[in-house]
Amino acid sequence: MTTIDLTVNGRSVTAAVEPRQHLADFLREHLRLTGTHLGCEHGVCGACTIEMDGMPARSCIAFAAACDGMSLRTIEGFDEDPLMAELREAFSAEHALQCGFCTPGMLVTAHDIVQRLPDADEKRIRLELAGNLCRCTGYAGIVNAIKRVLAARKAGRTASAAVAAPAAAPFVPFAAAASAPAAATPPAFARASAGEPGLAAAKAGWTELVESFVVRRPPAEVWRILGDLPMIAACLPGAELDEHDARNVKGRMRVKVGPIAAAFAGAATIERDEARMAGTVRGAGSDGATGSRTRGEVEYALQADGAGATRVAVTIRYSLQGALAQFSRSNVARDLARRLIGQFAANLDARLDPGRAAAPGPAAPGEGLDLGRLVWAWIKDRLARLFGRNV
Amino acid sequence: MKAASFDYARPRDLGEATRLLAQAAGAAKALAGGQSLGPMLNLRLARPALLVDIARLESLHAIADGGDHWLIGAGVTHARLEDASGALPGAEMLCHVAHGIAYRAVRNRGTVGGSLAHADPAADWPLALAALDATAEIAGPKFARRTPVAALMTGAFTTVLADDELIVSVAVPKASPQARWGYYKFCRKPGEFPDASAAVVLDPARKVARLYAGALDGPPQALPALAAAAAAGTVPSLDDIEAALAPVARGLDDIDRRLHAVAVQRALKQAIAR
Ligand SMILES: Cc1cc2nc3c(=O)[nH]c(=O)nc-3n(C[C@H](O)[C@H](O)[C@H](O)COP(=O)(O)OP(=O)(O)OC[C@H]3O[C@@H](n4cnc5c(N)ncnc54)[C@H](O)[C@@H]3O)c2cc1C
Ligand code: FES
Ligand code: FES
Repeated sequence: MTTIDLTVNGRSVTAAVEPRQHLADFLREHLRLTGTHLGCEHGVCGACTIEMDGMPARSCIAFAAACDGMSLRTIEGFDEDPLMAELREAFSAEHALQCGFCTPGMLVTAHDIVQRLPDADEKRIRLELAGNLCRCTGYAGIVNAIKRVLAARKAGRTASAAVAAPAAAPFVPFAAAASAPAAATPPAFARASAGEPGLAAAKAGWTELVESFVVRRPPAEVWRILGDLPMIAACLPGAELDEHDARNVKGRMRVKVGPIAAAFAGAATIERDEARMAGTVRGAGSDGATGSRTRGEVEYALQADGAGATRVAVTIRYSLQGALAQFSRSNVARDLARRLIGQFAANLDARLDPGRAAAPGPAAPGEGLDLGRLVWAWIKDRLARLFGRNV
Repeated sequence: MKAASFDYARPRDLGEATRLLAQAAGAAKALAGGQSLGPMLNLRLARPALLVDIARLESLHAIADGGDHWLIGAGVTHARLEDASGALPGAEMLCHVAHGIAYRAVRNRGTVGGSLAHADPAADWPLALAALDATAEIAGPKFARRTPVAALMTGAFTTVLADDELIVSVAVPKASPQARWGYYKFCRKPGEFPDASAAVVLDPARKVARLYAGALDGPPQALPALAAAAAAGTVPSLDDIEAALAPVARGLDDIDRRLHAVAVQRALKQAIAR
């Protein structure tokens, strides 16, 4: 519990709160200020919008514990506010509400629009309202209500003369100095050369990803190594084998994407076609913590790539369901899969050729793919070698 | 939609903040505006054991004139930059970009540092500040370092920041009065993350031409050849832009690639016409 002192609607409040309690729940359940509504609880719908230190903000993604010392105003705190009285009147006259669920958030937002943008036209009003969703009115009444208040206020003051922006001089072409843009790709990936991507969604709702990398060993040897499941797991950051035979594996896979840490537990079956030097892995897994499920398959095929080297072509198809999928656009999982392949290729290469300096070392068992840390470790390692000591 | 339990700490200064992060060894997260972390906590996608609240650290709030650059504190909100229109000569693009992020209620809390650290591939600051050639100042418990914003993000939601490092500020080079810039986003709805985006800065006085495509799978990607062509006064064709995108923006289907090419072309046209 954290003790907070704050001002709510002009009244001092002291309370002990659990850090995880979001501000809207605190207002509704602790202070019984139920005018603040909750729709999406992740910042999208605007129903929970209140004023924090005089500015509209989402109370569903703020935490009460972080509001110590702040001054808050909920819809109940606008009872005596003259501008809000005008807005209430206008909302009623223009039929700007039906069920009323979105209305507290709409009114707080409208109050901000009128105060901050006294010259807003309809287009600007609509733009400013984009963060508040209404399922009933179709917005026309809400927009008209705000227009009505703005017009009434404008009539009461002298029109401000529009200032014309100075005309800019025309663009003069020039020769750009050649500057190598900073590489945003970590160094380890340079060697995991990727083939032409293919992204034909093979199955509805599935994402397909085609990549390839080169291992500096002949195909027969790489084929043998790829049959060594513990070795594969060791090269795949975040992977851990629980049990396996030649065709079946059970294991876990940790991934870390920014603040998200997921640990998928699952099982897969493996088919290997000796003659074609190609294989398929099909599996499914779930992560209890984020309530996410995934199903997927990996096809791989080996081909000689010059003397003594092998190109491994990989096609990954997967579907993702649950909170993780809800949060991430498909490209995030794609980027993660691609980085996993790059990391796998680098680790495999380092293992096959231990003499050479390893790229960002294989992640410690049980540690998920965390590129930030890997690259940082790599830089530290370089610095240490340069200065002959630990940085 | 309620966050799992976590502890909460509000350090007094930056040193205490990085020390708390270091002690937690990866189990803690900094909390700035909470506009990205809040939703992830509520969805229980993120489950840190400790939140280190840096939102009110004064040292992260400054906007300062550094002579040839503007120094923007990591804790500066999008709304403050939106409202700084006219007050940041040579960095007008910052105000324009800030205005287009999410909604006012989100901009009032969300910060530049949080956006860079969160590293959403479709976010505005990683793209805009890469095109502006900004440099991030980073502090850890032991030492500080600098990194070009263009090299900060290494993948979706992944940066070069260590668990105990914080972004302190970004230095944004001032453009000359002859400079032009363009910024274009395709959003299904205003305030939503874009499906495709592009940012360009052309500054004849500094011989700078930087063009980045955003909203890709991973970090924004530089398109230096197209930037140089634009500097010389040529707006490349959509086919040429697609060809330049192909090697750096892998994994796009035909429609996505065209959408990104159009975003790039519109950003370039804005810059040259502006
Ligand atoms: C509905 C909605 C729509 C949005 N639309 C857009 C959009 O169109 N474009 C866009 O760019 N963004 C958008 N955002 C995100 C918004 O810009 C966030 O403000 C921003 O991504 C995160 O900033 P924050 O200060 O809120 O960070 P937080 O949410 O507090 O933190 C985000 C992450 O960064 C870390 N962090 C924060 N500050 C620092 C620091 N100084 N140093 C190191 N790490 C740090 C945290 O630990 C956390 O992992 C949207 C958000 C919402 C809720
Ligand atoms: S409930 Fe807060 S924005 Fe939807
Ligand atoms: S009035 Fe029902 S949601 Fe807006």
